[in-house]
Amino acid sequence: MLNQTNRHVPLTALLILLVGGLTIGPVLMLIIGSFSEGIGAIGKFTLDKYISAYGNPTLPATLSNTLIFVFGTAIFSTVLGAFLAYLSVRTDIPLKGLFGFLPIVPMMIPHVLFSSAWITLLNPTNGMFNVMLRNLFGLASGPFNIYSLGGMIFLEGMLDLPVTYLVMAPAMVSFDTKLEEAARVSGASNFHTLRTVTLPVLKPAILATFTLAIIRSLASFAVPRMVGVPGRIYVLTTHIHRIISIGWSPDYGQAAAIGLIVLAVAIILVYLYRRLIAESAQFVTVTGKGFRPTEIKLGRAKYPLFLVCLLFFAFLVVIPLATLIYMSFLPYTMVPSARAFSMMSLDNWRTVIGGTTILRALKNSAFLAVVGATVAILLSIFVAYIVVKVKSKASTFLESLTFLSFSFPGMIIGVGFMWFLVKTPLYATLGGLLVAYVGTYLPYGVRPLRSAFTQIDEELEESARVFGASFLRSLRDIVVPLLAPAVISAWVLTAAMFIRELSVSVVLSRPGTEVLTVEIMKLADDGLWGQVSALGLIMVGLSTVLVVGANLLRLPLAQSRSKRIKTEGTVDSSTVPIP
Amino acid sequence: MQGTISVRNLVKTFVSKDETVTALDNVSLTTPPNRILTLLGPSGCGKTTLLRCIAGLESPDSGEILIGEEPVWSKTKDISLPPERRGLGMVFQSYAIWPHMTVFGNVAYPLQMRKVPKPEIEKQVKKILSLVQLDGYENRPATNLSGGQQQRVALARALVGEPKVILFDEPLSNLDAKLRESTRKELRHFLTELAISAIYVTHDQVEALTISDDIAVMRKGVIVERGTPQDIYLRSDDPFVVDFIGRANFLEAKIKSYQSEELCVVTSSLGDVVCNAPAGLEAGTSVTIYTRPESFTVVPADSGLTENVFEAKVNSVLFAGEAHEVEFGIGNATVLAKIEFDIPLQRGDRVRLHIEPEWCRVLNPKRGASRA
Repeated sequence: MLNQTNRHVPLTALLILLVGGLTIGPVLMLIIGSFSEGIGAIGKFTLDKYISAYGNPTLPATLSNTLIFVFGTAIFSTVLGAFLAYLSVRTDIPLKGLFGFLPIVPMMIPHVLFSSAWITLLNPTNGMFNVMLRNLFGLASGPFNIYSLGGMIFLEGMLDLPVTYLVMAPAMVSFDTKLEEAARVSGASNFHTLRTVTLPVLKPAILATFTLAIIRSLASFAVPRMVGVPGRIYVLTTHIHRIISIGWSPDYGQAAAIGLIVLAVAIILVYLYRRLIAESAQFVTVTGKGFRPTEIKLGRAKYPLFLVCLLFFAFLVVIPLATLIYMSFLPYTMVPSARAFSMMSLDNWRTVIGGTTILRALKNSAFLAVVGATVAILLSIFVAYIVVKVKSKASTFLESLTFLSFSFPGMIIGVGFMWFLVKTPLYATLGGLLVAYVGTYLPYGVRPLRSAFTQIDEELEESARVFGASFLRSLRDIVVPLLAPAVISAWVLTAAMFIRELSVSVVLSRPGTEVLTVEIMKLADDGLWGQVSALGLIMVGLSTVLVVGANLLRLPLAQSRSKRIKTEGTVDSSTVPIP
Repeated sequence: MQGTISVRNLVKTFVSKDETVTALDNVSLTTPPNRILTLLGPSGCGKTTLLRCIAGLESPDSGEILIGEEPVWSKTKDISLPPERRGLGMVFQSYAIWPHMTVFGNVAYPLQMRKVPKPEIEKQVKKILSLVQLDGYENRPATNLSGGQQQRVALARALVGEPKVILFDEPLSNLDAKLRESTRKELRHFLTELAISAIYVTHDQVEALTISDDIAVMRKGVIVERGTPQDIYLRSDDPFVVDFIGRANFLEAKIKSYQSEELCVVTSSLGDVVCNAPAGLEAGTSVTIYTRPESFTVVPADSGLTENVFEAKVNSVLFAGEAHEVEFGIGNATVLAKIEFDIPLQRGDRVRLHIEPEWCRVLNPKRGASRA
């Protein structure tokens, strides 16, 4: 602490201006937009947009769909997450290393592709799994229809599983097993203990997980768009998307009017989530080194439960990936057979790589990933530095500004950026997309860097000074090398996130500024599942290389930096977006 | 003079939550060359702040700091040397071993900063690692070391540049009790061997007593007493110091008369006691006297001693390993004494206790500070 607080005042002010512009700016424009006559007439006051948006006859059905979808998903993914977290942290289930893999899954298979794979398996007309079951049992139709609320909940629930698992697992780790032992000694059975002690103590954590799942599914766009829209089931995000994409005049005013309410709900939910997390931290009765909960012996239930876990992993990764690979070689959807294998070719791959639009989308996505991640991480480094090293009211304000956008659903903030950018030269350019990406996803860059800064003990810098290094020299010799791995890994993760970005892009992408995910969505609309698969696999390949690279870089860093004990089955949450 | 640090009228205040805390309140101090001076005190007494001001990691509000003859910080002369130009060595509380470097990289760093030629660096690092008994550890990653080994790397790094003075900031507080004891002895051994000047900060009184040549006891930003470990432990007349270091029996008493310049008789609940007292207290002055538990001995009835022999009743006996901790009732007073374990004592026993006037001392009533 070489009192240099004053030196940071201009930097702090600049960052507040920048971050504030990127987070509050689009929200303000969303509010102004909702009261304006149109995108070309900003500021001409009218209430028409609210009247027509809320008078829309399809709105009640959309709202009830949204409620069912959001709560169904939240219940499904919370139960699943708690179940897997319990098994991995508290029991002697085999192959715990597998659970460490969970958080990486959604980064490898973007939601659009996950949905595409399951559509080719479970769509009511020629879904491969449906066809196989019909042949097997002589059914006339069905039996599954992915284009339904049930199908949406199934897919979204699976996709939210890594997040719910990541919130539940630490709560399980810090749980004091003595509480349970006391119940057992008092005569309660294993099951009774679970019901009367374990679950009540974990209640705040479970509620927090549930709230987070609600936030995520409320903001979800890919699954409702891919699976809900063909079945004519609209939720709020797809409803907004319909307002701005279908028909001869997209109405961004109505989209803003509806989006604002969703945004308000999301902000309230995030506030609630934070309170619940704080409450659950109060229940942490045991902390400190060397503490390991006693493992519950599953006995005969061990292998059946393990099989259930394996099934989830198959649903999440193996089946969708295998389906995509298989489909990428076929001209149209076919159940695996000798004929199908004889018809396999590289045609889809050739078409995809040869298409000018898709090639442009590839280039755009690569540009956004590389340049966008660089800008986002540079900004994050400065923000994290100020937030950690400077203790002032301004730095606290900066921190809350940064984390504000955690609660913003991408689709709605995309509409906000639309209003924000429309009068600037950035409108309909890659630069505009870049600004929107950085603003929307800034917290995900700041978060890991903030913890990296926190971990660099002040004394490490100070000792370099005492032993003869100047301020700049100590930065070069100590701070930069210690920070570099975290910076690289944050960069890679941000780049991977920008490659699979859909909900902001779908609002802002225009001819000329196409991106991969949006193009995949268009191919899926045309039913070109083979090309979806081929292009999707290219995308999966890109982000997998990035994510695996990031983890390889992080591993030696995590080992050298701290010797804290990690309980098996828990993972560093900084890879997954959790507010 | 090389190897000494002088601090003159140093003041340092912090503002936290709209409240001003005075960490250093006009502190002056000169360290002896080639000796170990310990700053001892409870947490928040300003000892670490003083050390960090000397290192240059913190800026005082006013006063002056000199290393040797050279001022490194002075308000009036507007001098403020950055830490890297003060030529000191330091062992940090967390050791501050750089995790991305090897043992060699850590220890060589101070020499590299001074642009010492490479072969010379290698020679010196090897020499110093051998001194701290880490021969052959050069290429180990610094994180792949035990707590005790990290501590020794930190020491080697502080020693290697042959600094004018080495600063220690609670260097043993991260070790477990057993390792702390052996490391303490080891550290004392190294420092005596090298005849190096050191300032050592700790809140642990045993550590201070064993490791130092000289102790400065601090309280609320002020140095309350300065002296050798023996002086501090056995001969202090400051209420705070006596209470903070070790255990003591305190008794209210009144001055009766002086036997000599230092010895005087007081009346207390033990009866008349011959004590060591500060000079010039008037008869009838109310004072507090104190005794250390280990100063008492059990004497036979025919010992021939006449002064400071008390009829005592054993109230309770606690076996504490190396000795018995016995609570005696003497008249209306109770005192705690450590009695050798081979003297059989039981509750209710009546014995004669003796204490040398030298170890029965009157607290100086002029010292303002109350007991800790």
